[in-house]
Amino acid sequence: MSGTVTKSNGWAKSPVAARRRAIDLVATGLSFVATAIAILMLASILWTLVSNGIAGLSVVALIRPMGPPGSHGGLANAIVGSVIQTVVALLMGAPIGLCCGIYLSEYGGKGRFASTVRFVSDVLLSAPSILIGLFVYLVLVAPFGHFSGFAGSVALAILAVPIIVRTTEDMLRLVPTAMREAGMALGAKKWRVVVFLCLRSARVGVLTGILLAVARVSGETAPLLFTSLGNENWSFSLAQPMASLPLAIYQYAGKPYDDWLALSWTGALLVTVGVLTINIVVRFGIRSRKG
Amino acid sequence: MSMMPKTSDPTADAQASAAETPPTALEVRDLNFYYGTNQALKNISIDYQRRRVTAMIGPSGCGKSTLLRVFNRMYDLYPGQRAEGEAIFDGVNILDRSLDLNVLRSRIGMVFQKPTPFPMSIYDNIAFGVRLHEKLSRSEMDTRVEDVLTRVALWKEVRDRLRSPAAGLSGGQQQRLCIARSIATRPEMLLLDEPTSALDPISTARIEELLDELKQEFTIVIVTHNMQQAARCADQVAFFYLGTLVEVDAADRMFTNPREKQTQDYITGRFG
Repeated sequence: MSGTVTKSNGWAKSPVAARRRAIDLVATGLSFVATAIAILMLASILWTLVSNGIAGLSVVALIRPMGPPGSHGGLANAIVGSVIQTVVALLMGAPIGLCCGIYLSEYGGKGRFASTVRFVSDVLLSAPSILIGLFVYLVLVAPFGHFSGFAGSVALAILAVPIIVRTTEDMLRLVPTAMREAGMALGAKKWRVVVFLCLRSARVGVLTGILLAVARVSGETAPLLFTSLGNENWSFSLAQPMASLPLAIYQYAGKPYDDWLALSWTGALLVTVGVLTINIVVRFGIRSRKG
Repeated sequence: MSMMPKTSDPTADAQASAAETPPTALEVRDLNFYYGTNQALKNISIDYQRRRVTAMIGPSGCGKSTLLRVFNRMYDLYPGQRAEGEAIFDGVNILDRSLDLNVLRSRIGMVFQKPTPFPMSIYDNIAFGVRLHEKLSRSEMDTRVEDVLTRVALWKEVRDRLRSPAAGLSGGQQQRLCIARSIATRPEMLLLDEPTSALDPISTARIEELLDELKQEFTIVIVTHNMQQAARCADQVAFFYLGTLVEVDAADRMFTNPREKQTQDYITGRFG
C-alpha cells in the first residue's frame, strides 16, 4: 500500500552547501557595493564637470584666446595648442613605440637585450609624469634658454611610447605562430610576414593602443609645466611657449576671478569630452569592425 | 614545371615510363634532427616518389611532423633546432646552410594543421605568395587565382566574393584556400601537416579527393593520425616510432601485410 512517495534523505540540504551559499551572497553583495561606489564617484565627477563647465561654454570661449580677468578671454589658443602638441607627440611617439613593440615581439624574443628593453619600458610606463617634464626641461629647455611647444611634445611623446610599446607587443603576440609559419612557408621574407601578416592581423589592437596613448597624454599637465610653459596668446610655433588645455586649467583654477574659474571648468569639460570621444571611438568604432 | 630531379638511379626514368617505380623526388639519407640536445629523429633514410602521395604515420611525438618541417627548413625559424644528414631535392642537399630558403619554400609548399587564412581578401591570400616570386600582370594574376581556386574546387563557392575577407570562409573552405595558396606559387612538392585534423568529415573527404587530383602534378607528403586517411589517400606509407623510421612500403602492403610487428600493433590500434 505504498501510495505515498517517500523522499530519501539524499535530498536533504547539506550544511556545507548552506555555508557556501552564505559566503556567495556576501561576496556578491560586497562586489556590488564596490562597483556602485566606483560608478557613483565617476558619475559625480562627470556631473560636477558638466554642471560647472557648461556655464562657461560659449562661442566666445571657443574662438577667443586667453586673457586677463574680465577681458572676455576664451580657451581657443589652448585648444589649438593642445591639439598641435598632442599630434606632434603622436608623430614622434607612435613610430618609435610601434617599431619597439614589433622588435620585442618579432625579433628580440627572450634575449637579454629585449628583456632589458621590456623592463625599462615598463618602468617608464609607471614613471611620474613630472619627472619626465623635468628631464625634458634639462635636455631641451635649459640648453636653449627658453620654453617651447616642441619640448612639451617630446615630453608627451616619452609618456606615450611605453604605452604603445606594450600594447603593440601584446597584440602581436596574440597573432598565432601558425600565421607566421604559413607566411614563411610561402617563401616570404621575415619583414614581409611581420608587416603584411602580423601587423595587419593585429591592426585593430595596435591602433587601439595608439589611440589610448593619445587619450592618456592629451590630459597631462605635469610634463608640460616646465616644457611648453603655456601661453596667454596665440602661438603656432613649436619653438615658442605654447598654450594647452591642461595648463589653462592649472592656471585658471583656484584663482579669485569668476570668469577664470568658469573657463577652468570649461577647459576640464573639453579635455574630458575629448578623451571620452577617443575612448568611445576605440570601443565602438574600431573594435566592432574586428568581427 | 622544372625538369626531373637527377636521381642516383639512372634507370629511374625508364622504370617510371613502365609505371613501376616512379623516380624519386626527394631522397633522405641518414637524417638526424635535434631540438637542442634532444635527438628527435635518428638515421632516417627514405625516398619520396615523384607525383605520389606518401603518408607518414605514427603515434604523437614519433617525429613525423618534425621530419616534414625539415623539408622546407621550417625549423630554421627556431634557434637550437638543427638537422644533419642529407635530403637531396633536384640534385641539391636542402639541408645546406647556404641554400636560399625563399627559393626552396617556393618549390616545396606547406599546408598546416589549422587553416591559416591571411588577414586579407580571398584573392589577395593567393596573390600574396605569387607576388613574392613572380611579376604577373593583372589579368595573368586573375587567371592564376581562378585556376588554383578551380583546382581546389573552391572557385564556384567564392567567385562572387573574391574581395571579401578570407576569414569569413568556413574551416574546410579556408583549408582548401590554403592549399590553393600553396600551389599558386607552382611548387613541385606539397607538405601537408595533418591538414584535416581540424575539419569536419565532409570537408575532410573533399580534401582527400583533392589529394588524388593534386598528385597528378605534385609530389605530396602528408602527416596524418588517421589510419583510414592514410589507407585511402596514400600510395606509400611510412611508419615512425620514437624518432625512427620503422617501416616504409606501398600502402596496400603496409595495411594488409606489414613486415614489422610494431607496425602491425600500431595500425591495428594496439598502441598509439
